[in-house]
Amino acid sequence: MKVPIEAGYFTIPEDPSEKPRLLGSRCRSCGEHFFPRRVVCARCLERDTEEVPLGPHGTLYTWTYVHFPLLGSKRVEHGGYAVGQIDLPEGPRVQSVLSGGPDQFRIGMPMELELETLRENREGEEVVIFRFRPEATQ
Amino acid sequence: MSPRRIDDVAVLGVGMTRFGIFPERSNAELAREAGLAALADANLSFRDVGEAFVGYIFGGTMTGIRAMKEFGLTGLPATHVENASATGLVAFRDAVWAVASGRCEVAMALGFDKMSAAMTAAGRGQGRDSIDGVILPAAYFSLWAMRRMHERGTRPEHFARIAAKNWNHGAKNPWSDRQADHLVTPEEVLASRKIAEPVTAMMTCPVDDGAACAIVGSRALARRLRPGRPVVSVLASVLQTETYRPGHIFLGPVVGPPSMSRDTAREAYEQAGIGPSDVSVAYCHDAFANEELEYYELLGFCPEGDAEKLVEEGATQLGGRIPFNSDGGLIARGHPGGPTGLAQIHEAALQLRGEAGPRQVPDARVALAHLVGGGSVCTVSLLARERA
Repeated sequence: MKVPIEAGYFTIPEDPSEKPRLLGSRCRSCGEHFFPRRVVCARCLERDTEEVPLGPHGTLYTWTYVHFPLLGSKRVEHGGYAVGQIDLPEGPRVQSVLSGGPDQFRIGMPMELELETLRENREGEEVVIFRFRPEATQ
Repeated sequence: MSPRRIDDVAVLGVGMTRFGIFPERSNAELAREAGLAALADANLSFRDVGEAFVGYIFGGTMTGIRAMKEFGLTGLPATHVENASATGLVAFRDAVWAVASGRCEVAMALGFDKMSAAMTAAGRGQGRDSIDGVILPAAYFSLWAMRRMHERGTRPEHFARIAAKNWNHGAKNPWSDRQADHLVTPEEVLASRKIAEPVTAMMTCPVDDGAACAIVGSRALARRLRPGRPVVSVLASVLQTETYRPGHIFLGPVVGPPSMSRDTAREAYEQAGIGPSDVSVAYCHDAFANEELEYYELLGFCPEGDAEKLVEEGATQLGGRIPFNSDGGLIARGHPGGPTGLAQIHEAALQLRGEAGPRQVPDARVALAHLVGGGSVCTVSLLARERA
């Protein structure tokens, strides 16, 4: 059983063939999209937003690789970690940890949302958070 | 008392401790040293101070009020200010406008912090184990550097040259944390430990403790207190938060959109009625060397895309067209947090009074101080030597 680290930011599909999505808002008044969800539109300041799923695909706007272990993560690979900003087709830019080594990224490449298990909680459930990875190429 | 124009407000006195790691010195002790130095520089007693703005990031509730008691208990109104890295410069703005509004004759802006204590305690945050987890600050500025390199062909050498310049400026400044015993080269900066692509350890500011203080009042008072000394007047002091633009990042620690620095600087220039070409020396948030390169453009010192040329020409080193961070900046002088912006005012005041010794910019007339605070805010102040 998977549970989100905090409710309301992303979906956890029950069917493993389905892809997770980010949860955002769309302003009914001006059409702007946001991540994460918000009540008041940051563009037109109207209070008329609706929840919408976003992603799971995007393009890499920028990235870096940090040469230090990631605090709070029990699954440190390579002794460091990548961070990036991903532009979603709906508009929002999302900042996120990326999965992969320092030689796997280039600006503009297609990226895909995935869920990462952080730890087990007291109920024995897997606590998950989102991150992005380079989209699998055929 | 009636309101004054902002340019009738002057920096009466400045003081600071050297920045560095001082495990044996408390916030109150650091604040006392900086505050008493500023009062002495102004030729004032704490009894003359009508209002105080105290900035710190890492102390607990009421730490600033407790530190103020080091100077005496005179009943003056005091307000805590916290705006992340911009804290000290925002406290300065509050003090300036307290005088400009006519609310008091003399105001004190005081900043202190012990970042070294915060880094060993709970200051690291939850890391990955929270939805908006705190990751290394260097990472977020490195994201900006990587994008710049992609768009403009900027090379790590450009960032390294800026860092080396600030290290070498710091070596001329007795208040600077980092004082290298040799001329620091870009090659040395590039060879230092990798933090986050493309930023290396010597391109980043150190962890620091320290305090700094500025006393402000009217220009007439400045002339009366220190006859014959050039008067440092305040031309502008502004603060902005983020303005929404598409692509804004809402979740996670952010450095704020770059346009925030351009917008804030523009407002400051308008308030002062001057432009970038009038500025003799500038101070910016160079917590990471690549930031300084961006601010050359965002603060209006060169057209977009020309910042690399400025670096290559050495235009921003002492002796260049527009020296940046003559005191070593955040990279060398240091960045405790709360006092950082007031250290900028300290150095700017010395420059405009012609008292900066080996760092003196010849005939310095106007100084610009800029800081951003993650979360995010930007603040810009413009100071000038009074026109004779």
